[in-house]
Amino acid sequence: MRWRYVLRTVGILVLFLGLTMLAPLLFGIYYWDQSVVPISISMGIAVVAGFLLFGIFRGAKVEAIGQREGMAIVAIGWTVIGLFGALPFYLDNSFPTFIDAFFESVSGFTTTGSSVLSEIEAVPQGLLFWRSLIQWLGGMGIIVLSIAILPFLGVGGMQLFNAEVPSPVPDKLKPRIKDTAIILWKVYALITLLQTVLLIIGGMGLYDALCHAFTTMPTGGFSTKNTSIAHYDSAYFDIVIIIFMLLAGINFSLHYQLLRGKTLIFWRDSECRVFLGAVVVLIIVVSLNIYGPVYETIGESLRFGAFQVVSIITTTGYVTADYGTWPALSQIVLLLCMFLGASAGSTGGGIKWLRIMLCFKFCYRELFSIVHPRAIKNVKISGKPVPTAVMKNVVGFVLLYMGLFAVSTVLLACTGVDLVTSVGAVAATLGNIGPGLGLVGPVNNFAEIPYLGKWLLIWCMLLGRLEIYTVIILLVPEFWRK
Amino acid sequence: MRIVIVGAGEVGFHIARRLALESKDVVVIDRDPEALSRVSESLDVQVVNGSGCSPLVLAEAGVEGAEILLAVMNNDESNLVSCLVADSLSPSMKKLARIRDADYDTYHGVFRDRAPHIDTIVNPEIEVVKTIVRLMTMPGAVDVGEFADGRVKFVGVYLDESSRLAGLRLSELSAKIGKQCPLIAAVVRDEELTIPRGQDKLMPNDLVYFISEESNLHDALAVFGKHPEPLHRVLIVGGGRIGLRLALHLEKMSIQVKIIEKDHDRCVELAERLNKALVLDGDGSDQGLLNEENIRDMDIVVTLTGDEETNILASLLAKRIGARRTITRMNKFSYFPLMTMIGLELAVSPRLSVINSILQHTRRGKVLSMMSIKGEQAEVMEAVALKSSSLVNKPLKDISFPQGVLITGIIHEGEVTIPSGNSIIRPDDRIIVFARRQAVAKIEKILAVELKYF
Repeated sequence: MRWRYVLRTVGILVLFLGLTMLAPLLFGIYYWDQSVVPISISMGIAVVAGFLLFGIFRGAKVEAIGQREGMAIVAIGWTVIGLFGALPFYLDNSFPTFIDAFFESVSGFTTTGSSVLSEIEAVPQGLLFWRSLIQWLGGMGIIVLSIAILPFLGVGGMQLFNAEVPSPVPDKLKPRIKDTAIILWKVYALITLLQTVLLIIGGMGLYDALCHAFTTMPTGGFSTKNTSIAHYDSAYFDIVIIIFMLLAGINFSLHYQLLRGKTLIFWRDSECRVFLGAVVVLIIVVSLNIYGPVYETIGESLRFGAFQVVSIITTTGYVTADYGTWPALSQIVLLLCMFLGASAGSTGGGIKWLRIMLCFKFCYRELFSIVHPRAIKNVKISGKPVPTAVMKNVVGFVLLYMGLFAVSTVLLACTGVDLVTSVGAVAATLGNIGPGLGLVGPVNNFAEIPYLGKWLLIWCMLLGRLEIYTVIILLVPEFWRK
Repeated sequence: MRIVIVGAGEVGFHIARRLALESKDVVVIDRDPEALSRVSESLDVQVVNGSGCSPLVLAEAGVEGAEILLAVMNNDESNLVSCLVADSLSPSMKKLARIRDADYDTYHGVFRDRAPHIDTIVNPEIEVVKTIVRLMTMPGAVDVGEFADGRVKFVGVYLDESSRLAGLRLSELSAKIGKQCPLIAAVVRDEELTIPRGQDKLMPNDLVYFISEESNLHDALAVFGKHPEPLHRVLIVGGGRIGLRLALHLEKMSIQVKIIEKDHDRCVELAERLNKALVLDGDGSDQGLLNEENIRDMDIVVTLTGDEETNILASLLAKRIGARRTITRMNKFSYFPLMTMIGLELAVSPRLSVINSILQHTRRGKVLSMMSIKGEQAEVMEAVALKSSSLVNKPLKDISFPQGVLITGIIHEGEVTIPSGNSIIRPDDRIIVFARRQAVAKIEKILAVELKYF
């Protein structure tokens, strides 16, 4: 392991993070609220710490960094960024303890959207903007952003990219990783801008529109309002946000191809087709289920049912209704959605549809080969056979995901949390969704989770965002051996 | 600029690596997913799995927007077909192919002007034989590059312990030698390349690169204590295509050649093709046979079998028995750093020569020839100074060169000069530029201001 190189790169990331604090600082100054001082101090600390790390290890040899270093940089980098990102929260008085600030920060960067705040509107505007901005940065990936705009990240860019944006079937849009990163961020920024404009047209102020666009596109789910999107109670906002949550849940390389004129690409791509189809089916199931017991008209059932299904399945986590009071079938469907997640290559979390499709096809092939023992049959996606190595990776991922879910639920229950809350909290953090079930349901928050439980959930959020392998590899002793 | 490389073998991989390091857009095509995953895991390039001859695959790799296609698959026919298909998809693209069969030798021009329109055909075997002959005829040289149609040589020699130059500062050299001393461009010490300045000392065991006109070459080599040795008898181990080519070439130079080949049928074939050379059916690592054939009297032993471990062992054995010099054919680049350690200074690699000649053609600007210095730490290029380039019409000392760049020769109307600070490059002069790897992209930009791909 080339520690000097790892630390040098982490230094660059921290420095970069410090510079991004300029944006909330400007909002803080504009509103002249209490966030100016904590943000300035945090910015100073991050910039100085970043400079020191980078300065000390500047001479590290850049050549020949491998997958190992890439994973170490991303896993350590994300943790360190979470720590520095928590500084503004901690220095302000909105958060009682450092662990709460850290929880909020990691929840932001990993685009989870689980909050420990009950009085969100009481938090100064500058700080709330920071809370939205970190989700936006974390959504497409702060390391991918650094690769796109910082020239001196250098040769290891590809390893970093693969560690931060793991995908079962990686597709490079351009021969060079830097160009790929630039395209992804441009598409991301463009869609965010479009949503901001649409929200402003609907009557939202610039500040709130920007904050909500910054948390929709990364499928984050932090809102500037206590009651999330329910605050506005507007069908227009609901529809706009549903559409943009779906866009965020679709592979971003498809958006790029769409912008290049391939209009039918959403239909042609098998994962996207299955994802959108499943969303429609689940919306119908939930809406029919809540039509009658919860809402009196089919229109309302559809509006709230669709919003909640899309919000959970894309792992955004906005709330327009308290699904905790819905019938059991709807709750179970929503819990299922937490595991399913969005598309590979999107900003969403969860297991992701590509993996689910591959697993189903794999199982089907196994059954098929019982009937025809001599048949040669490939698992195919979009007409192309899937290599065995990819298949192994996918099956391993799903097993690890379910295994970690089970272990974390048990551990969380050990800290004294009840059954439904444990299941909901772990599913919601591992899938980067936000609100869970029970005591951490849509109208509650994570403040009541015990101290150790919060550490556990922070770990779950990082596992979910970096798609398990990058983080869990740090626990493998072989990884550290020379 | 986008470059499509067909074939992810050793050559394809290394060209892709070099070009990716220079921040070019590289796409690699290969049928073998494993070869591709080696490429995609360690290089920042795009990979496409499929046959390089298929129009669908070539289109997917984006040949339509590409500037250069390099066909470096293992067999000649695939490379030809790949270029043919690419030619119909994107006629304006520049195409290079590696073609090894000697039957094609005289048809390179035909393929350029007609159907596949292959701009450059690279044959590593021709290049390797040329290199071997150059090394043979130049005493002490371990690395030789030719510029200005062979009139300027860029030569690397090891400084012996006993050399009278060892321990001297560069600035003291002319005083010691008493006449014009050759321009020293680079010194490789402990695998690190430096561009020496006047105050730097030369040490024993340094690998010194200098530039010299052909007419002065023997004087220059004498300065480094390398004197011409007689070259009458050569033993070639391995009678493959390169061995045969070399034997034919040496026959023409009236040098006595013995060639050892294991395979009996191949020996019969060799005996048919060669007139004067003695063809021996046997194993090159057989000590008895080597003794029997008087290896002690050999001026040079060249080991050219397809298996590099055999080559290394045969060369070591020949040296031990008493051959004066050996030249070893190597393919794996990872072995190169070991060569000096085990005492085999002279090594040739068909792959390295093909990489060099291909890279030369991917350079922007009018680059005429190119050579990589040991371990790819630096490059020497010969290029035309274009009118619009910032290099022309001012004294060299007034030009701000990127770090690690040295102009080592100016060819003005056929006159070669080794430049000083006051020399001036005129438009359309040819210049010989030495550049460290980090500076290659920058010097390329300076040379190619006219955005011309020649």
